[in-house]
Amino acid sequence: MSDALERKGFTVGKPISYFILITWALITILPLFWMSYSSFKSNEELTRDIYAFPKDLFNNQDDVYMVIEPGLGLLLPKAVRAAREDYMVIESTTVAPTRQILVHYLYRSDLPPEVASRQIGDLVNLNELPRHMFRPINRYLMGYNYISAFVRGELTMKFVNSIIYAAVSTFATVFLSLMIGYAVSKMNFPKLSAIVIGLIGLGYLISTNSTIIPLFLMLTKMGLINTRIGMIIVYTAFGIPMATLLTSQFIRGLPDSLIESAEIDGASQFRAFLSIIVPMSVPVIITISIIAALGTWNEFLLVLVLASSEATKSLPVGVYSFSSLTSTQLGWQLAALVIATLPTMIVYFSFTRRITQGVVAGAVKE
Amino acid sequence: MNSRDKRKLITYVGFVLPGLLVYLVIVAYPIIYSVGLSFSDFNPNRGGNWNFVGLEHYRTMVDDPNFWHAFKNNMIVVAVLAFGQIPIGFGLAYILYRRLVRARGFFQSMVFLPQFLSPIVIGILFRRLVGADGPVARLMQMVSGDPSRQFMMMLKAETVMIPVGFALIWMYTGFYMIIFLANLQKIDSNIVEAAKIDGATEPQIFARVIVPILSGTILVSTILAIAGSLKGFDLIFALTTKGLMRNNAMVLPIHMYQTAFEDYTNPMRFAYGASISNAIVFISIVLILFSNWVSRRVSDGEVN
Repeated sequence: MSDALERKGFTVGKPISYFILITWALITILPLFWMSYSSFKSNEELTRDIYAFPKDLFNNQDDVYMVIEPGLGLLLPKAVRAAREDYMVIESTTVAPTRQILVHYLYRSDLPPEVASRQIGDLVNLNELPRHMFRPINRYLMGYNYISAFVRGELTMKFVNSIIYAAVSTFATVFLSLMIGYAVSKMNFPKLSAIVIGLIGLGYLISTNSTIIPLFLMLTKMGLINTRIGMIIVYTAFGIPMATLLTSQFIRGLPDSLIESAEIDGASQFRAFLSIIVPMSVPVIITISIIAALGTWNEFLLVLVLASSEATKSLPVGVYSFSSLTSTQLGWQLAALVIATLPTMIVYFSFTRRITQGVVAGAVKE
Repeated sequence: MNSRDKRKLITYVGFVLPGLLVYLVIVAYPIIYSVGLSFSDFNPNRGGNWNFVGLEHYRTMVDDPNFWHAFKNNMIVVAVLAFGQIPIGFGLAYILYRRLVRARGFFQSMVFLPQFLSPIVIGILFRRLVGADGPVARLMQMVSGDPSRQFMMMLKAETVMIPVGFALIWMYTGFYMIIFLANLQKIDSNIVEAAKIDGATEPQIFARVIVPILSGTILVSTILAIAGSLKGFDLIFALTTKGLMRNNAMVLPIHMYQTAFEDYTNPMRFAYGASISNAIVFISIVLILFSNWVSRRVSDGEVN
């Protein structure tokens, strides 16, 4: 390392290396950082200054609202509809004014008499409201973009769907490919195993694009289109090639003696598999699960074509259609993007090392 | 075959069959189905009658200007992969391998991260970043002092592939970096030391020692990249708005999707769409064979 020539190479290489990697890291971090903090800004703030940190939605003690007559487009809560006269409807004058997007319903009897007597068109300052009325409004504003994304984009259901798809199909993929991996690497049928592995290996070259039309027609015929079970089967199948490669590699490395001793004990193969192979394969199970679950979580085309009904959509498709429908509401969209990204970021940063090892093992075939 | 062997075989089949069956039905069979579909006049509006029509849809495809436009863009994507992602990924891996920087774990995880973010989220985010008066446009306005300056590349047919290519490089280079890094770390350090003792300089070590050793990995990565380059659907789909912009940036999978699932007036939409997706498979096989051939030529040339 003390070689003069090398040191010369290093002095040129180091600054360039730092420059490249720091630029790269900034290109990764800055957009995500901008997305995260901007998701707490109102549209008006975003228009005023696209870079500034969020302020309006948090600093809202003295926000001014206007008493309004609810328009036809506003869907009133049941309690308000039942006793329309008992409620005063106020709308923000700072966030989406006059669009009747950000409105609150105040129960007149709870208001100070002076405020309760205000007429349509009059202004109400938030600091005039009693504490128990002010507090929910205050909190609502802080999470305004997120609440809007969840409620208006109906992202709660899509979030649940994404979790179901990722969890169930990952479980099925792991289980089925552990079975195949065990059979091809520990049962003595070399010719059959070569065929099985060859067939499954072809899956590496098959992308979802090239199967999507037949899959659509097949699932339609089987009545599995727009069903969760249909999506789970499809995701399971597409997870099998990578998972089988990893499980068979891993199980081949386990000592044979363990399995033989179980057979002598008279345990059935399947029981031996469950009680010996599965517990010993935990490391590879975790790796496959993370990679498969992240892949399913982010997948788009399959859900778009095979399960695009409101009830079966997953987050990416939900976020995509939400962003197409609300293209003027940048704040809401950014919140939806954060909702879809945050879980993957958490998983990625908690398991970076494992994911890296798994990707390497899955990509480089022996 | 005695009964014991038979029992063993039954157990074997019992283990393999469930997974294999799911895989064959959902992943492998559609490929055959798709080939059959592309030779038929299957009309979804009329019900399930199929007739063999030979190469008709492929003939339509060859005459379809949209197909060639998408093909051209797709070749740009392949070029971005082969001449962008792979060399840059290699370069980044080399920087990390030769320990030219500190905080390698941090940089590695930053370059690798985008790979695991949803391409849809990234696509929408980038679209917002480069949109009218968006952060990028504001930055350009600040730097140039011209308050009407906008980021126009996405709007023009000639330049739309530049930001798309940039996004593709940013998103997927980390994958190749990780593959190369893992293989670099497997190299016996004695070889590098020996070259140094013989007086090889750093660039010489790189070009004469490291690259030849990793040529196999480079080939495998190229094949993976080409197989994957036709999966650039989501990112380009989300980066562009439906209509002119998406048509400008259209790649074959998007053309296939729009034909099969958005062009409802075309009675041959599935059959024609299937021909496009078969063409994608065919093109990627040709490209893979080609890169195989090139790499063999290159390594032969080195021996001579």
